[in-house]
Amino acid sequence: MGLLVLFVVAVGAAWWYIGHRPAPIGDTIAVYYTKTDGATLAPWRVSLGPARDRTSVAFYAATQCIAGPPPGTPAVRFPAGSRVLHVDVAGSNATVDLSHDVAGNSPQGSFAEAAEFKALVWTLTQPAFGITSVSVRVDGSRVATLPGGHLELDDPLTRASF
Amino acid sequence: MTRSRVRPFKRLGAVALLLALLGGTAGAQQQPLLWFQGTRLIFEHAAAEHGELAVSTGDGGLRRFLDRLGATLAFEPQSRYVIVTSQDRRTIVFSIGDPSYTVDGVRLRAAFAARTEGPDAVLPFFALARALYVEAVPAGAETVLQPRLGALDVRADGTRTFVTVRAAMPLLTTTNADSAERLQLTFTGQGSSLAAARRPAGGAVEEIDVAVGGTPRVPTTTVTLAGAPGTTHRIVAGDGPDTITIIFEPRADLAQAPPSPSAPPAEGGAVPTATPPLVAGRSTVTDLAITQTSDDALSVRLTLSAAAAFEWHRLLDHRWYLDLANTTLTGPGRDEHPSFGAVASVRVRQTGTSDAPSVRVAFTLSGEQQIAIEPDATGLTIVVTNVASVDPERIGYGRTGGPPVVPSAVAEEPSPSPAPWKFEPGSGSSTIVIDPGHGGDDTGTAHNGLVEKTLTLDIARRLRALLAAQGWTVRLTRDSDIDPVSNQNLAQMRADGKPNADDRAYLQTRCDVANAAGARLFISIHANSAPFASARGTTFYWFKPQDLAFAQALERSVIPVAGTQDDGTRHENFYVVRHTTMPAVLIETAFVTNPADAELLHQPSFLQNMAQGIANGVRAFAGTPSASSLSAQ
Repeated sequence: MGLLVLFVVAVGAAWWYIGHRPAPIGDTIAVYYTKTDGATLAPWRVSLGPARDRTSVAFYAATQCIAGPPPGTPAVRFPAGSRVLHVDVAGSNATVDLSHDVAGNSPQGSFAEAAEFKALVWTLTQPAFGITSVSVRVDGSRVATLPGGHLELDDPLTRASF
Repeated sequence: MTRSRVRPFKRLGAVALLLALLGGTAGAQQQPLLWFQGTRLIFEHAAAEHGELAVSTGDGGLRRFLDRLGATLAFEPQSRYVIVTSQDRRTIVFSIGDPSYTVDGVRLRAAFAARTEGPDAVLPFFALARALYVEAVPAGAETVLQPRLGALDVRADGTRTFVTVRAAMPLLTTTNADSAERLQLTFTGQGSSLAAARRPAGGAVEEIDVAVGGTPRVPTTTVTLAGAPGTTHRIVAGDGPDTITIIFEPRADLAQAPPSPSAPPAEGGAVPTATPPLVAGRSTVTDLAITQTSDDALSVRLTLSAAAAFEWHRLLDHRWYLDLANTTLTGPGRDEHPSFGAVASVRVRQTGTSDAPSVRVAFTLSGEQQIAIEPDATGLTIVVTNVASVDPERIGYGRTGGPPVVPSAVAEEPSPSPAPWKFEPGSGSSTIVIDPGHGGDDTGTAHNGLVEKTLTLDIARRLRALLAAQGWTVRLTRDSDIDPVSNQNLAQMRADGKPNADDRAYLQTRCDVANAAGARLFISIHANSAPFASARGTTFYWFKPQDLAFAQALERSVIPVAGTQDDGTRHENFYVVRHTTMPAVLIETAFVTNPADAELLHQPSFLQNMAQGIANGVRAFAGTPSASSLSAQ
């Protein structure tokens, strides 16, 4: 009887794991950008190198998102010079450290700010990554908002934040 | 693997470098004399390797090289990707341990695989440079890193063909057009990696020839574009200074069929032409007048039947034009050569297609004359003044007044569905808190002679008067040019170790004003900006479920009174709407970066209308304060 219970528990655990583990990351991933209406998201696909570990892929995806879609694509883009300094993935949360250039030379206004971070969060929270929330750092520090900004960046952002 | 390293290089001839490049193995012990943009490029940690040059991402020389090109590099040891983003936003990706790399998704192979070395990565430099459109060219005993035209994209769009040239560095361009169909562009300081000749199939461009001259240090590339018979060309701004786009399209005067003798008279008795048929919702030029208004000014007045969006361009060769979208001419075009020194010619033409007609007003100027665009409720006036322009802008957008004809953009993303929340008019506090955004050192956004903190305070004061007249007790989070902060908040948040405690304390203080007062409503007033001029309109941001109905009420009331484009209500994680406990909305009244919106924001009457619209929305949402709530205050 004990063995049977153990067997049932093991099968149940295996079933739960298979059902909840992220789908494997393929050869390409979607990277989102926000169209010039400031609200509509659109994806483009980029191909991955051999590294498929979550941290490498999240770093890759975040950097591609900050770079923006191919030239000529109308998009709300992060300010020039913006870089991803570090990405750390722990559980279902990714912490993305961005260079201070994301604030631009002067306050950007809520339009660009919301559009940029919406694209970043949607890029990193695609199901295959197993990431559901994104914590933002700027030059290594936690911030309440960008300077003169509106979007609260202290708490992790999710797709529901937008 | 054979590798040699000299740290730092002192002297290494280009011959040795080229030997190393051709030999396929290392062994070069001398320093390569690399020249880039007139100066020597010196690497601190570099090694010849497999015919390449291995350079560390931590090398100051590499950083300087990337900085000159406007490129950025992202790498961290935990990640196995090194990503370089070019100024024109192409990505070059090296994978640690993989000799292949990608340039905007196209896979290429380098001489060796990128690898980590301590906290840095080591990359094949010449492969990276080539991806950034920079080629190593022997020049005697030296090697010149020559910026080049790296891409020439040809894209057909209906009857038009777009030709885009991308280069490593900002383009210094000379244009020469011996006819409308033929354009020659000379790029000084840029070599070329482009094919010498190209014949695009179909489209408005028949042939593209590329010729390279000059010296390795100062190369010159000439691109000659031959359009199909009956086409004309125009140059438009590219994505950045290192990009240029040329559009070839059918000439409007040839594309139009001659008027039919049997055609019925057009409305208003105008002479019929082959203009596209009038379409409901489309704007029409009902009158056109070109007059010299003074010794120094010439004006072109277009009277329109409905609102129209417009876009203008100032070309480098002193031509200037404005396109009115979705607009038709009722009469023939005009071609005038006024006796006005600043303007050689004025042309007004029907352009575009029958589905998307546009009207173009084009000036050939004698220099960089000042041009003012004055949209109003019934049309548009363009005034050319015989004064040298100091306006660096070469492109702009705007909109005339009148009934809108273009619907606002439709977002594909569904908004989250908040739980239903019902506000009960007449209940609760009679206090409303208005938050004029920014203030003090935090100026907010500033463009077109407008400063956000000043605008927000102006509208807030007007709104205060209107709401007070409705019977509300009104508090402002600031009533002067300060960024309000409570010392208690500052001290508390610093003591709690809150991130960026100061910024947080400032925003929380604004929320505390409303929360402590038990306010009925919270209205935060802002002015928006965007990285491009076309974004415009009014947006109503909300976060909590109880905010949505208030945002919708304000949207319904503000848009008709203010006359701005309705950008809708949007759910965003904005601090002040999130941390207030009552229905709260952050209103971005208009874009200071959009010429038409900026024009409105300069007008006190618009600021008053905006305040009136908000006051109307408050009344629609919350009614007026009840006698009971007043007596309870």
